[in-house]
Amino acid sequence: MSTFETIAKLIAETKDLDINNIKPEMSFADLGLDSLDVAELVMNMEDELGVTIEISPSLKTVQDVVALVDEQKK
Amino acid sequence: MITTVLSEALGLRYPIFQGGMAWVSEAKLAAAVSNAGGLGIISAMNANADYLREQIRKCRELTDKPFGVNIMLMSPFVKDVARVCVEEKPAVVTTGAGLPNAYMKDWIDAGIKVIPVVPSTAMAKLVERAGAFAVIAEGGESGGHVGDLSTIALVPQVVDAVKIPVIAAGGIADGRGVAAAMMLGAAGVQCGTMFLCADECAVHDNYKQKVIAAKDIDTVVTGKRLNHAVRSLRTSFTRKYLEKEFDPSTSGDELEALGVGALRKAAVDGNMEEGCFLAGQVAAMVHAIQPAETMIRNMFQGAETLLKGASTWVK
Repeated sequence: MSTFETIAKLIAETKDLDINNIKPEMSFADLGLDSLDVAELVMNMEDELGVTIEISPSLKTVQDVVALVDEQKK
Repeated sequence: MITTVLSEALGLRYPIFQGGMAWVSEAKLAAAVSNAGGLGIISAMNANADYLREQIRKCRELTDKPFGVNIMLMSPFVKDVARVCVEEKPAVVTTGAGLPNAYMKDWIDAGIKVIPVVPSTAMAKLVERAGAFAVIAEGGESGGHVGDLSTIALVPQVVDAVKIPVIAAGGIADGRGVAAAMMLGAAGVQCGTMFLCADECAVHDNYKQKVIAAKDIDTVVTGKRLNHAVRSLRTSFTRKYLEKEFDPSTSGDELEALGVGALRKAAVDGNMEEGCFLAGQVAAMVHAIQPAETMIRNMFQGAETLLKGASTWVK
C-alpha cells in the first residue's frame, strides 16, 4: 500500500468518509477536518506508520502529509 | 491549605484558573482573581492587538500577581495577539478553539507557560510534545464552546495520556467539584461560569441575574450542525436558533450569521431577547454576586474539608 493509500484509509476511518473521495490535493478543511480531527489523525498516522508528524502551518493538504511521511521513511 | 504542582510552579495560593471568556474576562476580573490567589485570565477574544496590550497593562496596574491571557485561535487577529503575548510576557497563555502548535515555540522562548485547553487525549499529547506546561481538560458541561466528552470521563483519560499537570474544567463551581477533580488526577481547576457573578466581573447585571436565576436544566447546546457547539442559557434567542438549526431549509451561512454579535448583546447590552448568555451546567449552583476572593476562599475551604474527611469512606 502506498503512503497516500495508507493515509487516505486513516482519514476515511477517522471521519467516516468514502475513501474514493479523498484526493492528494485536498486540504484538511476540504475534508471537513477540524483541529480535533487533525489531532486524532496525526496520532493514528504516527501509530500506524511509525513516524513523527509535527503540526505546522505548511501542513495543509493530504499530499503535504504524504511528502512529510515519505521524507521520514527514507 | 491545598497545594499542588500547579499552584507551586505558578506561585498561586489556590490551584484555580478563571476561564478566558470573551466579553467577560477583562483586566479587572483577571486582577481580582489573581489578587485572591488564583490565576486570573484576560480573554483576547476576537479583539485586536491594541485591545489586548491595553488590557494586559491595565491588569499589571491592578495586581502584582501572575495572570494569564487566553488566545482564541480562530480570532481574525490571532497572529497579532500572539505577538503581543511574546512582547508583554504574561505568566501564562491558555488557548482555545484549535491547536496552538504554530505559536507555542515563540511563547515558550519568551518564558511564558503555555497551557492549552484540550477536548481530547490526542490533542493533549500533541501539545505536550510541543512543550505545553500543562493542559486544561475541559468537559462538555462547561459554558461556551464545548466538546462531547464530560469532565468526569475526559480528565482521567487525559491524566493517563500525558505527564504534564492537568487542570479540570467544566462543571466545577464549589468545593465538591474541586475535590472530585483532584480525585480524578487533576492538579487544579478552571472555572468560568462562577466568575460571571463575581463583583469584579463587568458583564451586564442582566447576565448575572440570569445566571443566578438559572435552574439545573436551563442550559442548552446550539451550533452542533456547524461543528461549533456552544452551551448557553435557554432564552428566546436559543429557541429561535434551534428552530433554524433543525430546519433543513436554513443554510449554514444563515445559521452562522444568526449567531454573530449575540454574545456581545448579552454581556455588554444585557439584551434579554437577542443576547446569547453563555454559561455552563453549574449556573444553577451560583447563588450570589460576591467578590471573587470570597468565591475562591469558600470553594477551597469546602474542598479541604471534604478531602480531609475522605478517609471516612475507607473502612
